[in-house]
Amino acid sequence: MATEDARYRESSQYQLWSFSPTQLAAMREKTNAAARASIAGRLASMPPRASTPALPEFLTPAEEALLVTFNTSELLRAGDHAEMSDEIKATAAAFFRRFYVTNSIMTYPPTEMLMVALYFACKAEGVFLSITDFIKTFGRENPEEIIAGEFLLCQGLRFAIDVKHPFRALRGSIMELSALPDIEPARLAAAEHRAREILRFSPLITDAYFHYTPSQIMLAALSLADRGLAERLIAETFHYVAPPANNSGADTPASSGPDAPAPSRRSAPRSDGEDRTQIIGSHIRDKVLGTIEACRDMLSKELPERREHWTNKTVIKAQITPLRKKLNKCHDPERWNLVELQRARREQASKKADSEDGDAEDGPAGGTVEADGAVFGGPLPRDSKRRKVGKGLDDPFGPAL
Amino acid sequence: MSRNAPAGGRAVASNGTTVTTSSSLPAISTEDMCPVCKTIRYLNKDMEFLINPECYHSMCVNCVNRLFNDGPNQCPYAGCHKTLRRKGFRSAFFGDLTVEREVDIRRRVAAVFNQVEDDFETLKDYNNYLQMVEDLTFDLVSGTDAQRRAAEATLQQWELEHKADIERNRKAGKEADEQSRRRLAAEREAARQRRVEALREAEEEKLERARSREAELDSLAQGDVGTGAQRVQLKRRGQAAANRAVEAAVNAAVTAADVGRLSIRGLKEKKKAPAPEGPYDPFGGMDFVPSRYKLRAGLTHPGVEKYKHDPAHVTGGYSFDEYATRAMFEAFAGLGVFIEDEKEVGIGLSAGEVATISAGIAAVGCKMELD
Repeated sequence: MATEDARYRESSQYQLWSFSPTQLAAMREKTNAAARASIAGRLASMPPRASTPALPEFLTPAEEALLVTFNTSELLRAGDHAEMSDEIKATAAAFFRRFYVTNSIMTYPPTEMLMVALYFACKAEGVFLSITDFIKTFGRENPEEIIAGEFLLCQGLRFAIDVKHPFRALRGSIMELSALPDIEPARLAAAEHRAREILRFSPLITDAYFHYTPSQIMLAALSLADRGLAERLIAETFHYVAPPANNSGADTPASSGPDAPAPSRRSAPRSDGEDRTQIIGSHIRDKVLGTIEACRDMLSKELPERREHWTNKTVIKAQITPLRKKLNKCHDPERWNLVELQRARREQASKKADSEDGDAEDGPAGGTVEADGAVFGGPLPRDSKRRKVGKGLDDPFGPAL
Repeated sequence: MSRNAPAGGRAVASNGTTVTTSSSLPAISTEDMCPVCKTIRYLNKDMEFLINPECYHSMCVNCVNRLFNDGPNQCPYAGCHKTLRRKGFRSAFFGDLTVEREVDIRRRVAAVFNQVEDDFETLKDYNNYLQMVEDLTFDLVSGTDAQRRAAEATLQQWELEHKADIERNRKAGKEADEQSRRRLAAEREAARQRRVEALREAEEEKLERARSREAELDSLAQGDVGTGAQRVQLKRRGQAAANRAVEAAVNAAVTAADVGRLSIRGLKEKKKAPAPEGPYDPFGGMDFVPSRYKLRAGLTHPGVEKYKHDPAHVTGGYSFDEYATRAMFEAFAGLGVFIEDEKEVGIGLSAGEVATISAGIAAVGCKMELD
């Protein structure tokens, strides 16, 4: 196993926040179903008013995903408005999308969480803005709105605050390519400019961060900018068996996805026990090419030119506005207002501290640890530790989301 | 250390087992009379009885010299056919020769079965072992002839088979003995030092007292009774007090050091140190040598060029090589991590076997992206 891959596998991005498409879809389904159930329960327990119908129509997982994507583009626009660095915007977008994997957009308000994600991403990237400056940029008055959602966001992120981005990786690849003799700098500069442009938008607004590693995303973006360069880099890297004249792997039809090289594996010369073949052999090269092709496919659906699409008034009117109206009817009555929610939780916590009975029948505190594990489709690696701590402290990771 | 005279007479049964028959012979006869030459203590004041561990028959030194000086000979006791040598004779430590014999046997068995508790997995095993050894010893000491022979055979076989173990344990035991002996000696030495110290101090104090008395008398004799003498007196006294304070401090330090060095008897000796595991690796054996790329010298990017002359970066000692290292690592880290395969099937497994399933997955993924 390549040492770089082993190191990447240690990251929280890989361990907690990488999923296959099926897993991600299943989690979103599950989140949606859970939100429907809990909101229906809460609406039913509310005092009935004459005007409200018995139960509103809920959003489907697909509609939720569309709203999240739209709000991600809003987030990127907000970041542009505040003149934040690429890393901050990218981290904020990753936070936002991660948060709405295990939390429904019907439960917590996306427009508020978007600001929270931006503010928290500033901190995560080491830029410490004052909250008053931050809200002034966006013409708001109440800092409580941002602060109330911060811990909630952290919980939603499973406290995995480090997000690995492909920006520096792009520079690394340019370094490597510029060492090659036969590539003119102008071409490199143009390719880098375009690739960075893509990286600023496309992977953030799609699920690329969940399905691919930063270097794969970077190579996909580079391949969108200048296909020859990306293939050259891969050919130079996986050089162990002499690279074939035509890069057959690169022409793999995208529909077959990352598993396209499977048949070609049989034809490739196999030398078992040869470590280098495993790391930089042609078999793994084909597989990498297939993965990058799939990633490239995903990114090409949301090229930077699509920024206009998401701000286009007619598109918004046709697609987003009906969903927003629907959302206004079906959102969670208890949790929609973050400030109120935080105040209520604080009161509950202080009450609990006063009585110190350790009774867990209060609504949101029940069965949190198991639920957390279940959300991720299996026990988390740190679940055992968490359980040990959680016993005495009433779950330091907070109540169920 | 007093050596009792044998309490009773000893007769030897035909099978060689020593049996105490204190009733058959008067006690006085064996106490003062050699059973071989019938010499009595009255005639020979420093008569000494010797035994040979072959058969534990006692006889006087004169008889031993007379009978065995010319080489091995038969035991003079009637019915005992053991061949004895001069070298084997010694004086008995215990008055009762059965006890003497048992102690000898036990010593021999203990030399062979010298395992310690640490050699065993559980306490139960150790106890079983002790039980086995005790049974064997009992057979040797007071078993029937057959039992004795069997026990002897077992003992010899064990000794033959476990020569190395026995030797090792013997050495370990010796070392432990040596250590405890040394510790005791050190403690004794420390105690002696303290006593000497205390004596010296008492002596000095006495001298000091005499000196001050002398000074007092001198001042009286010179006749300048008044503030001067008083002051001298006070000063002297203050000096003594100060000296005492300093000494007390030194003593306190010494005793503190002693307390630090104090050893408590009966404490378990520390087991041998665990095997060294090599230096501590904070990264848990992770390899930092890149396997997909080489870190060439002079890797650079147009974007960082301008910082190379920026005092804000250069003055602080920022290393641009570090930046290159990191950028290169990020460019290649995770290139061979196929999240879809690994999250579904597991690390290192190829998707070839699950190609059909994965194709379905990819289809689902595409659809989701369209959403």
